[in-house]
Amino acid sequence: MKKLCLILVSVFLLCLVSACSNSESGSGSSKVTLRYGIWDKNQKPAMQKIVDEFQKKHPEINVKIEVTPYDQYWTKLETAATGKSLPDVFWMNGPNFIKYSSNDMLMPINNLTKKDKVNLGNYPKALVNLYTFKGKTYGIPKDFDTIGLFYNKKLFDEAHIPYPDETWDWDKLKAAAKKLTNKEKGVWGIAARMENQAGFYNTIYQNGGYVISDDKKKSGYDQPETIGGLKFWIDMIKDGSSPTQAQMTETTPSALFESGKVAMIYDGSWMQIEYEQNEYTKDKVDVAPLPKGKKKANIIHGLANVVAANTQHKKEAQEFLAFLGSKKASLIQAKSGTVIPAYNGTQKLWVKSNPNVNLQVFIDSAKYAVPLPSSKNTSKWWDDETKILNKAWGLEIPVDEAAKTLAKKMNKDLAEEH
Amino acid sequence: MPNASKSSKGLIHIVLIIGAIIMVFPFIWMVLTSLKTFGETTQVPPVIFPEKFQWENYLNVFNSLPFLSFYWNTIVSTLAKVIGQVIFCSLAAYAFARIKFPGRNFLFILMLAVLMVPGQVFLLPQYMIMAKLDWLNTIQALIVPGLFSAFGTFLLRQFFMSLPKEIEEAARLDGCNHFQIYWHIMMPLVKPGLLALAIFTSLWGWNDLLWPLIVNSSPDKMTLSAGLASLQGQHYTNYAILMAGTVLAIWPMILIFIFLQKQFIEGISITGSK
Repeated sequence: MKKLCLILVSVFLLCLVSACSNSESGSGSSKVTLRYGIWDKNQKPAMQKIVDEFQKKHPEINVKIEVTPYDQYWTKLETAATGKSLPDVFWMNGPNFIKYSSNDMLMPINNLTKKDKVNLGNYPKALVNLYTFKGKTYGIPKDFDTIGLFYNKKLFDEAHIPYPDETWDWDKLKAAAKKLTNKEKGVWGIAARMENQAGFYNTIYQNGGYVISDDKKKSGYDQPETIGGLKFWIDMIKDGSSPTQAQMTETTPSALFESGKVAMIYDGSWMQIEYEQNEYTKDKVDVAPLPKGKKKANIIHGLANVVAANTQHKKEAQEFLAFLGSKKASLIQAKSGTVIPAYNGTQKLWVKSNPNVNLQVFIDSAKYAVPLPSSKNTSKWWDDETKILNKAWGLEIPVDEAAKTLAKKMNKDLAEEH
Repeated sequence: MPNASKSSKGLIHIVLIIGAIIMVFPFIWMVLTSLKTFGETTQVPPVIFPEKFQWENYLNVFNSLPFLSFYWNTIVSTLAKVIGQVIFCSLAAYAFARIKFPGRNFLFILMLAVLMVPGQVFLLPQYMIMAKLDWLNTIQALIVPGLFSAFGTFLLRQFFMSLPKEIEEAARLDGCNHFQIYWHIMMPLVKPGLLALAIFTSLWGWNDLLWPLIVNSSPDKMTLSAGLASLQGQHYTNYAILMAGTVLAIWPMILIFIFLQKQFIEGISITGSK
């Protein structure tokens, strides 16, 4: 026992000593190290290539990429913001942007635009607006995504229906969904899934409704046009052209699409890689623009690169930020096929990254796209949406009732933000 | 009669076999998935056996993540936590159980209160302390907050309490002071408790995800579980690669379990918790 204890204690001390000696001693030279926080493992190779290019030009700056998975990224960022140790440069998204900019955590980029290092005209306007708060722009758009109608060519051929195209409207989609549904084979025309960005937000704006007022003070869920955008989906569950909410909870809609159980699905441009690699869908999938309602609309969202307000290396961080927003960086991203680069004109390369699918649809949709709705505390009313609309999708309560309850709850949340 | 007992024994075996299959299935599924292509992992209905074993998945994770530093950080931090907890918790537990001092009950309740608060609440204050010490992104940041636990103290206190007073008195007559009683007399007697604590701590230390992920940022200062989490993509995840990484991350624990099976089961049945 005595011997064992002695060994244990000495191992313990050894561990501590080695741990401490292992700690950062600093390279000693005048090289500046920047931390670059990102959340998507799949994009890391492209980001590393961009960093390598940057370091070639600026050998005095060393950039370290830190990947934190999306689920923990925001917890970590919030902790780091409170502890004043945010990464120097990091990814930001629409739903979280106002929270960080209104709390002075981000550095405005106006001195970069003044010095002509960055020209905001090079990026889609909807994206620049997404990262502008009280007249100041804080981020340079990195990429964007829009929504498309993915469909299964084989199921369309079997039902003798022409493939969807830009002439489609809501009625045509509903009629096709009905015709594609084949109860005996267990095939549904469409997955009317409860999903905001890739689902009902699109139809709300196509129907002339809105989710949140421009001054971010009022919910749009009590507007008849908005409710119409929700009804669009629920009607298709009711008439059997879509699996029920329970069935879509059991098997995810994308899994249903990947197994040929569902002929059409609204999904984001980010899904093309998975559909292209799936054994079943890879030679059957194509994509069309979203059918129009009263008008054309599409939800656009994109990330931006931002600089922390309290970075210790302001000059170097902004230098890197400008490079991240450059055409060169966008081209590197485009080649990887993971995301649509934000720099205008570089998207063509992304379209070519997968010639089997009509990716041009996603680029064209950006022209009439609406930015993803957000406010200071977006996640709060996103939670309400999920909770309350779930009952409408499950056909437990009428959609009007759900929408009005949601409007009230959301108005309360928004009032608390100010 | 012998027939009846034979058939009932058979029944028990069937139930046990079914239970064993259910328990082992996730592990087998993990290994099989780790050898599939990305396409095969997303296929519905799922394929059970990959068409061709994709051994390069393992090479892939090993090359894309610094697994050797992950192993080193995880082993060092887990070992340090286990030893720290065994020493510090047993010292505190001994004092709470065997020494009468003013304010003992109050202090003990205060410590129990720590048990009642969910761990996430400590996240921010602990992070701030690490930031002030300039310990962010270091291996000691992984270790130090885990050197002591209210749970371990509570657990060991129960063991110390159960020992008869006569042993202590006899030792005192022989001229032992408190530390000697603790070290020479009591510690050997609570060995099962120490073992249980060591097992729990090592399991928690090995699996802890949130803290390492928050406090450390660069890949070479990550633990296995935190490093693995970074294999998840935002919109889709290459499960084959993720599972290959998981196999690499858990085999040491499985090996330890196989070798220390008896102690594991003893430790858990003694404390009645998992």
